[in-house]
Amino acid sequence: MAKEMTLSGCAASAQAVKMAKVDVICSYPIRPYTAAMMELAKMVAEGELDAEFIHGEGEHAQLSVVYGASAAGARTFTGSSGVGVTYAMEVYSPISGARLPVQMMIADRALDPPGDFGSEHTDAMSCRDQGWIMGWAESPQEAFDNHLINYRIGEDPRVMLPQFVCQDGYFVSHIPGKVLIPDQAQVDEFLPPYNPGKHVLDPKQPVSHGPQIRPDQGAIMDLQRAEAFLEMPKVIEEAVGDFNRIFGRHYSPFVEEFLTDDAEIVFFIQGGHAATARYAVKHLRERGVKAGLVKLRFVRPFPTTQVAESLAKFKGVGVVETSTSYGGSMRGGNLLVEVRAALYDVPKRPLTTSFMAGLGGDAVTLKDFYWMAEILTNAVKAGRVGKTVYWAGLEQAVA
Amino acid sequence: MFNVPQERAVPFGCVTPAPIGEQPMMRTGNWREFRPVIDHEQCNLCMNCVVWCPDACWQLSENEEEVVWNSTYCKGCLICVNECSHDALTKAYELDFPDGVVRLEKPF
Repeated sequence: MAKEMTLSGCAASAQAVKMAKVDVICSYPIRPYTAAMMELAKMVAEGELDAEFIHGEGEHAQLSVVYGASAAGARTFTGSSGVGVTYAMEVYSPISGARLPVQMMIADRALDPPGDFGSEHTDAMSCRDQGWIMGWAESPQEAFDNHLINYRIGEDPRVMLPQFVCQDGYFVSHIPGKVLIPDQAQVDEFLPPYNPGKHVLDPKQPVSHGPQIRPDQGAIMDLQRAEAFLEMPKVIEEAVGDFNRIFGRHYSPFVEEFLTDDAEIVFFIQGGHAATARYAVKHLRERGVKAGLVKLRFVRPFPTTQVAESLAKFKGVGVVETSTSYGGSMRGGNLLVEVRAALYDVPKRPLTTSFMAGLGGDAVTLKDFYWMAEILTNAVKAGRVGKTVYWAGLEQAVA
Repeated sequence: MFNVPQERAVPFGCVTPAPIGEQPMMRTGNWREFRPVIDHEQCNLCMNCVVWCPDACWQLSENEEEVVWNSTYCKGCLICVNECSHDALTKAYELDFPDGVVRLEKPF
C-alpha cells in the first residue's frame, strides 16, 4: 500500500532513487544536496538498497564514475550543488554525447561570489546547453516523482540522454513536506529495468567508448543529440501520462497553469518559489487582481509550443528569474530570453518582462510577488513594459 | 529530413566495435605535423616507446626483432622520441615524406 511520509526534498529524492533500484551511486559532499547521499548511504549500509555506493574524489570524479558505470549497463545516480555542479562541467557533454542516461540530482546553491550557501538556479542553468534533460521540482513530492519520470524519459531508446533533476536548495531540499510513497509494484510497472542495448561494455563483445572523431563528424554528433531532443516531447507526454495513470497524479507534462482561466497577468516560474507564488496569486485575486501562475516543468527540452500557447492568452507575463546571465539580451536572467523567443511567432503577443528574485538564496516573499503584480498591472494599463528586468526588493514598482 | 554523408557518419553514442589492434573508424594519423622516425641500428628494444605511446602506435613485431610504427593512428605527439633511451627515434616533418598527410585532411 502507498504510504504518506513527511520528507525533505533530499530525503524524498533518496526514496525515489531507492525505488528506482539504482545499481551505482557516486557521492561527494556539498550542501545542500548531500543530505540525499546521507540517506542513500544509510539505505545501502542497512541492506535496504542493493547498490554500489562509491565516494568520488570530487564532482569531476563523481560524473566520471557514473559515466563508466552507465556505459557498463548500470542505472546510475549522482548529484551536487553550486560550485560542485560547475566543477564537473567537463564531463557533462561527453556523457550526453555517449548517449548514456545518467541521472544527476541538483539541489541548487548560489555559485561562489565568494561564498554563499543560499539557493539560486544559476549553478544548474549554466549547464543547460550540455545535452542533458533539465527541469525543476516545486515540492518534495514533485522531486520524488521527477526522479522516476526522468529515468523513464532518459532511458527510452528514442532518447538515451542524461538528466539533471533539479530542486531549489533549502526551500525544497530541506523543508519537509508530505510525500506519497507508492508501492514498489507501481514503480516497477512505470519504470522497467534499464536496457542499455548494444551500448553495454561486455568483454565478449569489446567496444570502444569515447574515441576521437574528426572535426567533420562533430556536426553529425550534434545533429544526433538535437534529433533526440526533437523526439523527446512525445516521450515526455507518454511518460507523464503513464505516471499520472499509475500513481494517480495530475501532472501536465510541460507547463502547469494555476488560476489562469480569466487571468490577465501571470507569473511564469520554475521551481520552489512557485509554492509562494500560488499563495500570492490567491491573495491578489481576493483584492480583485486577475492574477495567475504558469509553472515550467522542463527547461530542456524547452516546451516552445506549449509555452507560446499558454502565455498568448494573457495580457502581461512576468517571468520570475532565479538565475543570472550577465549582459544577456534581456539584461537579467535566462528564462525571459526563451519566453520571448517562444512567443515571437504568435500574432498577438502578451507584454513580457522579468523579475530577478531569489538570487543568492534570498527568499521571494508574498510582498515581492505583489510588487511584481503591480508592475505587470501598470504595464498592462500603459500598454507597454518599461524595461525587460526589475530587481525584486531593490527598486520601486514603476512600469 | 537530414542527409548525412556516409563518410561522415558517427555510430550511436560514438561507440565503435573494438577488435584487438585497430578498427577502421576514428583514425587519427591525420593529426600529425611531425612523425617519429626510427633508426633500427640504434634501437636496443628497450620498449620505452611501446610503453609510453598513448595510442599503442609502437608494437613489437611478431618475430620480436624490432618495433613497428603505426602510421594510421600516430598523432605525432612525439612522446616516444622523448622517452627513447638510445636516441634511436628522431622527429621529422610530416610533409617531407612522399606519403605525408596534410593535417586534418582525409588521407585514408
